[in-house]
Amino acid sequence: MTERLKEIYGSVPVIGWLIGMLVAVVTESAFGAGLAYALYLPKVPALLGLTVVLKQPSMFPAAILYVFLIYALPIFFAAGLTAPWANRMAAAMEALPLWLSAILHLGVLYLVLHLWTDMSDYRLQISKLTMIAVMLTLSINVINGYMGEFSCSHPGFMALGAYASSTFSLVLFRQDRLFGAPILPEFLGPYMFPLGLLLGGVAASLGALVVAIPSFRTRGDYLAIISLAFMFIVKSVFENLEVLGGPRGMGGQPHWATLPAVFIGMAVCIVVINNFVNSTMGKALNAVRDNETAAEAMTVNTRRTKMTAFMFGAFWAGVAGGLYAHELRYVNPSSFGIQSLAEILAMVYFGGLNSVVGSVVGALSIQMLSEALRPLELFKWIIIPLLLILVMIFRPTGLIAFRELNVKRTLGPRVRKSGG
Amino acid sequence: MHKSRAVLVVFFMFFMAFSFMSCGKEREARIKIGINAPITGDIPKVGEGTKYAAQMWLEEIEKAGGLQVGDKKYKVELVIEDNESKAESAVKANTKMISEDGVLIIIGPQSSKQAIAAGGVANDYKTPMISPWSTNPDTTRNRPFVFRGCFLDPFQGPVVANFVKEELGFKKAAVLYDVASDYPKCLAEYFKKAWEGINGPGSVVAYESFTTKDADFSSQLTKIKGSGAEFLFTPQYYNEVALIVKQARELGFTAPILGSDSWGSAETVKLCGPACSGLYFSTHYAAAGAKGQTKEFIDSYKQKYGYVPDDVGALTWDALRLAQKAIQNAGSLTGDIAKDRQAVRDQLAKTKDFEGITGKMSFTEEGDPIKCAVIVRISDKGEFEFYKQVCP
Repeated sequence: MTERLKEIYGSVPVIGWLIGMLVAVVTESAFGAGLAYALYLPKVPALLGLTVVLKQPSMFPAAILYVFLIYALPIFFAAGLTAPWANRMAAAMEALPLWLSAILHLGVLYLVLHLWTDMSDYRLQISKLTMIAVMLTLSINVINGYMGEFSCSHPGFMALGAYASSTFSLVLFRQDRLFGAPILPEFLGPYMFPLGLLLGGVAASLGALVVAIPSFRTRGDYLAIISLAFMFIVKSVFENLEVLGGPRGMGGQPHWATLPAVFIGMAVCIVVINNFVNSTMGKALNAVRDNETAAEAMTVNTRRTKMTAFMFGAFWAGVAGGLYAHELRYVNPSSFGIQSLAEILAMVYFGGLNSVVGSVVGALSIQMLSEALRPLELFKWIIIPLLLILVMIFRPTGLIAFRELNVKRTLGPRVRKSGG
Repeated sequence: MHKSRAVLVVFFMFFMAFSFMSCGKEREARIKIGINAPITGDIPKVGEGTKYAAQMWLEEIEKAGGLQVGDKKYKVELVIEDNESKAESAVKANTKMISEDGVLIIIGPQSSKQAIAAGGVANDYKTPMISPWSTNPDTTRNRPFVFRGCFLDPFQGPVVANFVKEELGFKKAAVLYDVASDYPKCLAEYFKKAWEGINGPGSVVAYESFTTKDADFSSQLTKIKGSGAEFLFTPQYYNEVALIVKQARELGFTAPILGSDSWGSAETVKLCGPACSGLYFSTHYAAAGAKGQTKEFIDSYKQKYGYVPDDVGALTWDALRLAQKAIQNAGSLTGDIAKDRQAVRDQLAKTKDFEGITGKMSFTEEGDPIKCAVIVRISDKGEFEFYKQVCP
């Protein structure tokens, strides 16, 4: 029986699973509320029942039953049933250019996410913050994973991005305490938002340049120390810049970090970073990490490579910071301190170095864990670090490390028809 | 292989049997009240005070058999969420309580750092929120659904300045504050402005700062000593207060040191010891020598949890009582949460002369209370004695 299951589900391509998920979320929006009522659940379990586990343990079995009926059953049923068609579809899409096929897959994924988050605002918020965390984790993976340096300035880059893009939108589009009347009409705002994010990213990479110039003359621990110092410098600069609110922070950003905005941001980030690390530059980066002298001898311009990668990573941290600021709609220098650094590092080392999938997994699991364990209060801060220690002992490089993501093979069909 | 599968099936069935555990229970209407508190993170003592005050309030309601609204008695449920002293978590907690738990009103978060961000969420979803302790004007600005339970810094700064002028008659002031922390910095600024307004420019002879987590203040204190200041105003938190006062005395600075409501923690005296006795600070209420319902609250809190509640506990208690009163004044609950939230908000905004344990309160248009401040003297026994009340 196990063999048979393996045979069926081994042949389901990515699009098949996506169809399964689509069926599940459609089922949920049709019957979810009714089923929850029948099971005496107060509401549709928001995060697959994760949040009720510790809050109301007596409801946990009902939540599990709900998850089984609404998610597990339809997903496996639909995925298994449609596998032959899905394979044909995947084969057809394989014939298309890769970018088109990727966009089609992402479109279905977005549809799933949209329907799923439509059920609850809490889900929506957690999903958005998780996607921002994915971007942050990926961007630090470029530096700490692919480049192999230990950089601690990520919260600083995030702060630069958050402040730059907030200033952009507040100065141009919002009546506000710090900058007064808007310059442009507000309806233009959402269309200009990408520009604001770009500005945030550029600000962060300029910050990275400032760190990189002195620190890449040295190696190893020195970068860690210089980048840590940079983080504190950024924080105190914002604390003392009265124009940007000083320690009181900056509030009132428009709520432009909507689901499509964050999703597109994350998708572009994943695609670009994946292409970057698989490019010649990415390979050169790995060479520099493994042996700088040897890389230099093999005509790699190590200094330029390192600089580019560092600024590239910082750029995406800045974009993530911009999205973060427009989701929380309040930034404060103390949000970008050592605690936020610890969280980002935890996500990247938990998920796995040198791997795009690992970063996604790390960000997702740490975010979900910290949501699920919040009712434990103090013990949460014992359990999560403990898990991290266990991962470090048994898988020192993280859960899914050093694995390349081959988009073409991942999206392709699992079973090839003879002659098809 | 077969055995393990059988075990799995049995386990699963056993487990599923529990899924009907909660069946048959009555689906009764409950009033849910959200508490957004910093139980872990930088200021766990604040979170603890919030939680304890809320639990005490709930017990009192349960003793009465529920909350009487109109002609119906409702069961009350507290939804306590930990915001980890982070803005992001405070926002998540608020969203969860509003959209998942369906709370009628939210009490918290305490610090402005979280309250500003969380207040945005509460206002967007049209859910009333009272932050008992947040002093930043941005928390309630342009947010009809957000209220606060304490006075603001622009009021407290002049209170201290006037008190010193009238009671102690000094002319030259020194200020020492944390430049990286929102609350001390703003209060220091308001104090300086008020003091210079009374005594003319240049009357603040030393205006020294440090940054969060500094522990050595000797260079700033030496400057202050050398400046000829007659007293020092330092609006810092309890852990820093102890360090500043002790180091000042060691350096031979003998003039009085004054503080603000951030001193009002049980920890201040514990850490500072006799060095702090005889000093004054402005705050929300005085525990020693309290009368009436304030005394009742302090006594039952002390009996339950073993220490005198600090101002966070008292302000949370008042916020809960405000919420309770607003819910009761709403007349009746329709069961439609959006309508009920609106009704509770309207009642809150109408609050006039509410008798709280931290003084009488009326809300302004912005949702800020008009209330009196208290000047407290730390007695030789280390108690916070009532010295004087200052009203706006």
